Amino acid sequence: MKMHMRLGALLAALILLAAAAPLSVTGQLLAYQDGFVFFTTGDGFRLAPNVAILDDETKTPSKVQPVARDYARAVFNDAGQIVEIDLSRKPLPVGPFPDTVHAFAVTASTPYPNPDLGAPELTSSNGVKETFSGKPVLVKFQVQVPASTPLNAQVFIATDASGWNPQAIQMDRVDALHFVAVRRMASGTILHFLYTRGTLQTEEVGPNGLSLRPHQLVVTDSDTNNTNNVIAAWADASASNLLSQPSVFPTPYNPAPFPNLPNGTRTPHP
Amino acid sequence: MEARPRSIAIDLRADHIAFYYDRYLVEADGHVRVRTSDGMTLTGDAFSMDLKLNRFLISSHVHLRSPGGSLDGAAVSDFLDFDRIYFVPLISEPDRWTYENDDFTHPLKGRVMPGDVFYFPDVSSTRVSLSAASARIQARQYVRFAGVHAYFLNQGVPLPSYYVYFGESQDLAVNSLSGANLDATWNATGNANSITAWHLRYDAFNHTYLAFEQHLAGTDPHEYAVFSVNPATKDDKYWNLVTGEHIGSKFEVNTFTQLYTFQNFLAEPSIASAQTTYVTMTQALHRSYLQALFDQTDYKLIDSPVDSAEPNHPNFLALTATSYNNQIFKTPFYEQIREEIGFNHDAYGLQDYGGFEYTTIWNHLLGFTITLPNVKIGDRTNQYREYSLNASLDSSRQWLTVPHHVNSQTTSISLSRQYSRYVNSYLSYTVANTSDLYEQGGYEPYEPLLPNGAFYAPFAAFRGASTLRTATLATTYSASPNLVTTVTFAHHQDFPAAYPGLFVPPPLNAIGQYTYTNYLGQPPWQLTGEVRARILPHLVVDLQRTYYFHFGNQIWSPSFVVQLSQ
Repeated sequence: MKMHMRLGALLAALILLAAAAPLSVTGQLLAYQDGFVFFTTGDGFRLAPNVAILDDETKTPSKVQPVARDYARAVFNDAGQIVEIDLSRKPLPVGPFPDTVHAFAVTASTPYPNPDLGAPELTSSNGVKETFSGKPVLVKFQVQVPASTPLNAQVFIATDASGWNPQAIQMDRVDALHFVAVRRMASGTILHFLYTRGTLQTEEVGPNGLSLRPHQLVVTDSDTNNTNNVIAAWADASASNLLSQPSVFPTPYNPAPFPNLPNGTRTPHP
Repeated sequence: MEARPRSIAIDLRADHIAFYYDRYLVEADGHVRVRTSDGMTLTGDAFSMDLKLNRFLISSHVHLRSPGGSLDGAAVSDFLDFDRIYFVPLISEPDRWTYENDDFTHPLKGRVMPGDVFYFPDVSSTRVSLSAASARIQARQYVRFAGVHAYFLNQGVPLPSYYVYFGESQDLAVNSLSGANLDATWNATGNANSITAWHLRYDAFNHTYLAFEQHLAGTDPHEYAVFSVNPATKDDKYWNLVTGEHIGSKFEVNTFTQLYTFQNFLAEPSIASAQTTYVTMTQALHRSYLQALFDQTDYKLIDSPVDSAEPNHPNFLALTATSYNNQIFKTPFYEQIREEIGFNHDAYGLQDYGGFEYTTIWNHLLGFTITLPNVKIGDRTNQYREYSLNASLDSSRQWLTVPHHVNSQTTSISLSRQYSRYVNSYLSYTVANTSDLYEQGGYEPYEPLLPNGAFYAPFAAFRGASTLRTATLATTYSASPNLVTTVTFAHHQDFPAAYPGLFVPPPLNAIGQYTYTNYLGQPPWQLTGEVRARILPHLVVDLQRTYYFHFGNQIWSPSFVVQLSQ
């Protein structure tokens, strides 16, 4: 019985403390000017005339004034004015404020719905909702190369996220016809890319032999994003399947299809 | 939200501008001043732009001057792709205004804004790639910084300017340089149609040197030209010109021209030994295409006593028709056929046969490829227990006006399996047959001399036909996308059989790899290890070497293949 009474008293004290605790939020500052403080949510709150600027760690008066990008804790009075700003060197949680705080935001016009935001959610071909939260997700690139690709060829991916460096992402051969690369990318990334053999002169071309516009990949929130492509031909392929190397001088005409016969081998004769 | 992109230029000045290369973020603080090419002037205390999302934010003590007048506010965010400007004006009280489609005279007051319009990106775990005094940003194209300090291993290198291209077209980035172990590129300047770049490079042949490259691109797809000199700081210089042009929707021309000179910087060349030009023209047809490939090489352009080359001008032309890769009825097989006619010409002679020196040799080729891609075998319900079977057969015959023909046939089959998310293996077997058959005579038995002075009798069985058989077992372990290890074991069983010192190995390229892969005399047993690791956000190191199991005096491949890339 005594125990229950003690617990009840503790609970009552906690409730009283919570009720008495001033309302506060954390966020990142957008602006601090003209008697208002703005958070990156876009909400602007009126400052109390005697607002205290403190260091969040020591709770002593801060030596610096709040500026954009600072993380801060804001404490409100009952009138919805900010009476204390605690500046933090460490990132603090940033996010939409609860309605109780949002109600203190000062805005001259009455908010009304934005039709841009009422657009239907995107869905994939199989009906799954596609969301883009920015979280890092795995992206797997798999490509089928032409049968003429040399066994020890290196295949790369050039992307607009690397200034079209033709060796930006190196792929690994997984069988006679396929190469794979896995990268971690932020969901929401729109990637344009092409497969190459190390230079943009040895890039993939279309089935009609013409150069291609880059592939596009939109990275979604799903755990793994897979992209499968088939390379119809390489830009430097020739009919005899001996891939020419335009970055070096052509070797003299060799009537024999064996490039390195032993020294002294006689040329064919009748 | 309907997309209606604005392609505008943004001039940015601030006390401190930082660029985060791995995230394409431009962050600026202190006396921020922005002018846009569509007539806005903005000032504030902080600026943030995500170049990929194509939107920017200015906050704190913002002053906006637009065709609609001048206003003060707390923040403004411009979503360029959607033609929406979100503004927090501060007249007597804060408000929320949205400008649509450049209409600054009719702000939509009070309209709810997307939740993240004023968010700064979290860069606490990202390193600054460079800092600058000013920047010009062309939306969806490039950013050009001035008064730059570029950071490498925390050391700032002062540069007058730095240009970063992030456009969706690859044309402006076409590269004309040969491979190198290391290439650190300084894009000194540029705009939407050009880039001027210097490359600090290293390779085993030239060691450390500079190369220069000028890129030009038009506004239409596949319309570009690239000029370079590489190495620019060595006496051996290669001057390169690469061009590409789409003419209409079904025709394309690509050229590559290279001039070799031996000269001290820009002094008069003592040797200009050769110039070569390749021209490739491609015409798309119905489910096929026609391609003409022409090459003209001119040796000994300067009559130098130290240049022993013949002043000849060989050329060749090949006209090729190639079909699409067509599925054979509803089977898992695909076929592709090709035909080529062409000639080689060299006034100094191409081939002596039967006492006659051929200076022009015509050829005609027919070939086909059959592919069996990605046939799944095993437990189809579990991706880590199923096998993938791939096979291909490529066969061609080339007839030449010197009375012989060349048959080439390559057959390849592989079985692969992904054991887990991190490990996969494949086993492949490839047979490459080549035969050079003369109507009369041909290759006669020959016993070449070995380095030890003995004759190698088994080679006498070679009469113009070779068979290269390669069995390969490879395993890749990818602990993470940033660390990949591959071990490849290969066994060659060839005819004519390899013998130490008998065959001349192919020349090595600048990074230590053989310039061609199908050659006689490959060591029968080879074990290749490769490790690729991302050691910095923008730096990957790739290390590779092959063990030859003491084939003659060959223990290891000639050198480590080391490549540093971004």
